[in-house]
Formats: sequence, C-alpha cells, structure tokens
Amino acid sequence: MKAVLEVKDLRAGYAEREILKGVSFTLGPDDFFAIIGPSGAGKSTLIRCVNRLVEPKGGQVLFNGVDLLKLSYPEMRMQRRNIGMIFQEFNLIERLSVMDNVLTGRLGYTGTLRSILRMYTKDDIAQALRLLDRVGLAEHVDKRADRLSGGQRQRVGIARALIQNPKLLLVDEPTSSLDPKISREVMTLIREIAREFHIPVLCNIHDVDLACDFCTRVIGLQDGVKKFDGRPDELDKAALQDIYAMEVL
Amino acid sequence: MRGLAAPVEAAAVAADEPAVVAATPRAANSSPATWSRFRYPQSLYKYAALIGSLAFLAWSIEYLDIDLERLPGILGRMGEMLARRYVPPNVGHVLNAEYWHTVVETLQMSYFATVIGLATAVPLAWFAAWNVTPSRRFLHKPARLVIMACRSVHEMIWTILLVMVLGYGMLPGALALTLYCIGFAGKLFSESIEAIRPGQVEAIRAAGANQLQVFVFAVLPQVRVAWTGISIYSWDVCFRAATVVGFFGAGGMGWYLRESVQRVASKDVAAILLSIIVVVILSELFSAWLRKRIGQAVA
Amino acid sequence: MNAATLALRVEGIEASRQKTRRLKFLTWAVVLVAVAWSIQVIVVRDTDWSRISLASLLDIAKRFVELDASVVSEDLWKASLETVVMATLATVVGLLMSIPVAWLGAANITPFGKSSYAVGRFLMTMSRSVHEIVWGLIFVSAVGLGALAGVLAMAVRSIGFISKTIAEAIEDVDPKPLEAIRAAGGTKFQILWFAILPQIIPVFVGNMIFEWDINIRRSTIMGLVGAGGLGLLLFRQMAMSNYGGIAVVILAVLALIIFGEVASHYARRAVI
Repeated sequence: MKAVLEVKDLRAGYAEREILKGVSFTLGPDDFFAIIGPSGAGKSTLIRCVNRLVEPKGGQVLFNGVDLLKLSYPEMRMQRRNIGMIFQEFNLIERLSVMDNVLTGRLGYTGTLRSILRMYTKDDIAQALRLLDRVGLAEHVDKRADRLSGGQRQRVGIARALIQNPKLLLVDEPTSSLDPKISREVMTLIREIAREFHIPVLCNIHDVDLACDFCTRVIGLQDGVKKFDGRPDELDKAALQDIYAMEVL
Repeated sequence: MRGLAAPVEAAAVAADEPAVVAATPRAANSSPATWSRFRYPQSLYKYAALIGSLAFLAWSIEYLDIDLERLPGILGRMGEMLARRYVPPNVGHVLNAEYWHTVVETLQMSYFATVIGLATAVPLAWFAAWNVTPSRRFLHKPARLVIMACRSVHEMIWTILLVMVLGYGMLPGALALTLYCIGFAGKLFSESIEAIRPGQVEAIRAAGANQLQVFVFAVLPQVRVAWTGISIYSWDVCFRAATVVGFFGAGGMGWYLRESVQRVASKDVAAILLSIIVVVILSELFSAWLRKRIGQAVA
Repeated sequence: MNAATLALRVEGIEASRQKTRRLKFLTWAVVLVAVAWSIQVIVVRDTDWSRISLASLLDIAKRFVELDASVVSEDLWKASLETVVMATLATVVGLLMSIPVAWLGAANITPFGKSSYAVGRFLMTMSRSVHEIVWGLIFVSAVGLGALAGVLAMAVRSIGFISKTIAEAIEDVDPKPLEAIRAAGGTKFQILWFAILPQIIPVFVGNMIFEWDINIRRSTIMGLVGAGGLGLLLFRQMAMSNYGGIAVVILAVLALIIFGEVASHYARRAVI
C-alpha cells in the first residue's frame, strides 16, 4: 500500500522556541489519523506544516512522493490544490454567500482574471451544488455565510475542501467550536465522505473519546514529540497519562 | 480510553483551587492595611506631568513671542473688525457665471483626485499592510514610505511645488490633491487591512490561491464596508482642500480668494469665504447622504 | 438532487451571476467615463502644454535636486523647533476650547436639550469645514502676523476633531458608575469628575496625540500666512526662487513629520 503522506523528522518553531522536535509518521490511502495531545503540544503547527501554512525548519514532508518542503512557492501552490483543509473556526468568508464560499475552493484551479470576475465554469457550479446537496445544505445555497449556524458553517467548510478534489484532507479541530451533538454529526459526515471519495484524513482533535470513535489510528503529541502511535484500542490509561502528563500537573 | 479524559481535566481544575484560597488570608502579624491619597511614585509622576505642562505652556508662549496683551480684547476687536470691514459681504461679487465656473472646476479637481488617488491607494495599502503584503521584503517598506511621504507634505506645499513646475491651472491642483488623497486614504486603508481576521486569509491560501486571489477573496470582503466609508470621507476632505488650492495658483474657488485678499477688498473676501463655507457644508451633507445609502448597499 | 434539477439550478445561478456581472461592469463604465471627462478637462484643455516639455521638467527637477546646503543653518533648527512648539501649543489650546464645545455637543449631558446640541454640533462642523489656511487668514487679520495667529488658527481647526471624539466618548460612557455616585448623593460636578472623566480620558488622550501629529503637518504651512516656523522659511525661499533651498526646507518638513510619527507612536503605546 503506497503511502499518501510521509512525514519524516519534522521540526518547526522560532529562534527562541522549538514547537515540533522531530515528528515522523506515515499515512496510507485508507487511513483516518487523529492527532491528540495537550494544548501547546504542537498539533496545530503539525497540521499547518503539511501544507506549509507554517514553514517548518527541517525534516521531510513527502506527499505522494514529492517532498513539499523543497518546492518553490508557485509549485507549492499547485500542490495545495490537492490538499483540502477544514478549520476550527470554519474560516468562511462571512460576507459571501454559501455558494461563493464553496467555489473559493476552486481558486487554485481558476485563472486569476476569471476568478476575480467570478467566472467559474458551469462544471464548478454543478459540482458545488452536488456537494452542498451531499452535506445537506441545498436550500441555503444563496444565504450569506454569517447567517448560518456553527454546524452549517462547518459543513460549508467541508464542501469547500471537497470541491478541490483533494488527495488528502487536513482537519484542524473541526468540532471545538461546536456543541457535542453537532460535533458527532460533523465527524460522522467527514468520515463518510472520506470513505466515499476515498480520501485519507489527518485530523487534529482534543476530545479523545471522539477521536477514538472515528479514527483508524491515533498519534499522541506532547511538547512537540510523538509519544504514541497506535490503534485506538491500544490507547490505554498509561498511554494517556504519558501524553497528557503536563496537563495533570 | 473511554471516559479517561474527564478525570484528567477534573484533576487539573482541582489543582487550581487550593492556590486561590491560600492567597487571600494575610499573615497574622502584618501591620493593618493603610490607604494613602498620595501614593509615591504615581502621584509624583502625575503632579510632575501637570506642573510640566503648565511650565511648557508658559515657556512656549514666551518662546513664540506671543503678546498676551493682545488676547483680552481679541473678541471685541474681532467683532468690531467684522462689523466694520467684512459686513455686509459683497455677495454680488460671487454671483456671476465666472465664479460658478470655478465652483465646477473645484468639483472636477476633487473628483479627479479622489478617484485616481483611491485607485492608487488600494494597491499601495495592500503592499503596505504587514499581514497580507505579497512581499515583506521588497514591497512592504517602500509602500509604507510612499504613503507616509504623501501624507507628510501638506497639500498646499504639494500645490506650490507643482505650480512651480507646471504653471498655473487646474493640473497642479488636481495632482496635488491626488497625492494628498493617496496619503490620506492609503494610511486608513492599510490600517483596516491590518485589522482583519487572519483565519479567512489562511483558508484561501490553503486552497492554493495566489496572492492576488487571496487579496480579492479574503481581504476585500472584510474591508469592504470600512473602505466605502473611508472613500467617501476622502472625497469630503479632498473637496474641502480643493476649495483652497486655488489660493496658491491652482484652479478653483481659491484663486478668487487670493485675488480679493491681495486687493484687500475685505467685503469681497467675506463673500468668497461665505460661499466656500456654503459649498463645503453642501458637500458634507451630500457625503453624509451617500455614506448612508451606499453603507446600506454594501454591508 | 437528480441530474435534471441540478442542471436547472446551475442555469439559474449562471444567469443571475451574469446579470450581476453586467451591472458591475456598467457602474465601473460610468465611473471611468466621468474620470475620462475630468482628465480631458484638467489635463487636456486647461493645461498650457506648450510651456511644459520634458526638457523643462527635467531642468526644474535638476534645480530641486541641487540642495542648497546654506539653508541648513541655525535658522532651520530654530524654525523646526518653532513649528513643533506651535503645533503642541495649538493642540493644548484646542483641547481647552474643545471642552465646552464637547459639552454642548454630547447628547446625554448637553444643558439645553436639542438647541444646545445643535449649536455644539454646528460648531464642530464649522471648525472642520473651514480650511486651516482660511482660519489662518482670518486670525492674521484679527491679531496680526506672527505665531499667535498660527496657533489660534490651528487650535480652532482642531476643535472639530477633538470635541467630536470627546463628545462621542461622553455619549458612549457606561452609565453604571454615574448611577452609583448619584445614588450616593454626589453633585453634578462630582459625577463629572469621578464617573465620567476616568472613562473618557484614555480615549481622548490617544486622539489628542493623533491630532498633535496632524497639527505638526498644518504648522508647516502656517508660515505661508505669516505665522512663523518652517512655513515662513519656505515662503522666503520661494520668494527668492531658490529651488535648492525649497528642497532643503521640504526635507526638513519630512524629517519633522517622521519625528512626529515616531513620537506619537510611542506616546500612544504608553497611554494605551
């Protein structure tokens, strides 16, 4: 089984502070990885290093064999098209409609002039409608994004990530801003869609129960170091205390 | 595994409590708490600042050679001068076609300056905004410098310089006002860009958009409302300055003003000043109305 | 959603987007036409292009670039200091004059209701509508040439902004501390001093520093109406047509503004 994402000895941080201290793992095409750990462990940074929203200091990030850290900025932009991202605070463009928000997922594929004039192709619009229907927002297509509830907004974010036809989904704390019931719905949707479109998922999550319910593998991070890499049923009390040691103190 | 997260969090909360309780009771033998009105050194700073300001006032009046004896009668003398020399204003002087023509000139200069100034200020503000500038190394500082240079030099100085270079007429005035507009709007535009929420920028970048797309889709929708208000305000300020640039040789109403001042025709000056004030107030009413109408459409 | 409904909705969306696109295009076209017209009037018709040529422009540019170092004398430093002092004094005096105007123009504390509020707002507008040059001319004829005219002109001009921000701060004030002091039996003055002032002072100190920065800019041209400072120096250089000297004075103005920007940046940080 060929790996989709191989992270090798990833290091990140500033001059004064090291956030990631050499993290490595491998993600295959059917995987749904959950990254857990206390706050400040570097989970957000790790996710953002994969698509270089944060610049790592060292290591390798092999995406389908290509080392992303060696690419120039324009080449990296091309690769970003294949990586969809779902955010903790949804990060929708508040003033635009739901449809326009989903279409921004196609920006990497649309020429600058066409995109500024909002001249997306009919195929793009059809694809957007299909995805919005799939996530259950077909009636809200023309609503302004800030008129939606939290759960609805996250679903728009999911549609936006999917319209890129991504080969990898990065998910950063998708449920932190949502209440427990909606959180489960959103996680279920993400898992279903990942299976349906055959896309591997790398997901940051702080709720350990939720993580174990939905993922195929758990990575425990503490203070920039990988403390656990195994299946959810292997995550016992000892392992958890090891990961969250700092927090209890 | 299941439910293990909960005791971990509960332990963290419990650890906080003993610390809070321990902080409040005082040691048994400390002296009773006192409160003094004048706490050193805060009150020292405050009074020093107060005395310093008064001293500065006194010194500056002395330094600038200001004759304080002139002040007491000032209102009386101004009133007398007003009554004798300026009233009644020679309204006939301004009620002619030539003067109305200069009013139109003033409008045209301000319109030209606002549109071109704003059009230039938009990309400049984008480059000058630290958070979304396309190149922090090559574009950020120069853009900020250009905006600052345009702002620092008073629009009248620009006018005088440009009149020296281009001769009398509307062009130097229009260009001077454009530079003023670039500085004025550029600073306000870039400040509003720096206040946007970064999450939306992140999302658009993550989808693989290029810098310009990021600007159009993540920045512009967020600043749209603020920028509309700033634009209308810029026109307002620009028009006000346009009424006066003629005083230094550019086109517009100010030219008439200079001419009357030089002839010391005070009643004519009064009439022109009055017309300037009327025109400016009309423009302010117009821009207030415009702001309301467009504000509703853009929000 | 089946294929037929999908196709229908896509068509509908495309149509409405095209309509919006056309409307936007039309608006921009109107704006462009108006700009083109004003360019035609200003650049083409009004300007005497026979007098201006690339050669003459370059020649003038050259004359500006040949800086006249003789202007960098003690006079320049004195004039710069005078400019700063004028601006500072004007801001302080402007603040003092703004207080009664803000009192009138704040809807919650204005003494005679609608009429005094209108007066307050009118004064604010008047101060801002009249350009500082015009105020300068007015005060020069009232108190004669010299720094006093410049300071008064700038002070009156500043009233507009300072009183507006104070009035807005007063209107936005949190009524709970006022209620508390009134309940404890405080006089109107005590309410002002203990409940209102502590809330508005941080707001208006920041704005005062901002206005000081702007006044330095205004101060540089007050000399053009005889008020002193760098403006007067500039006026003299202009009268002598000493291009190099003019350039030097303008550089001094730039330096002064940068100093003002830096100073106000740190001052605002210290306050906030």
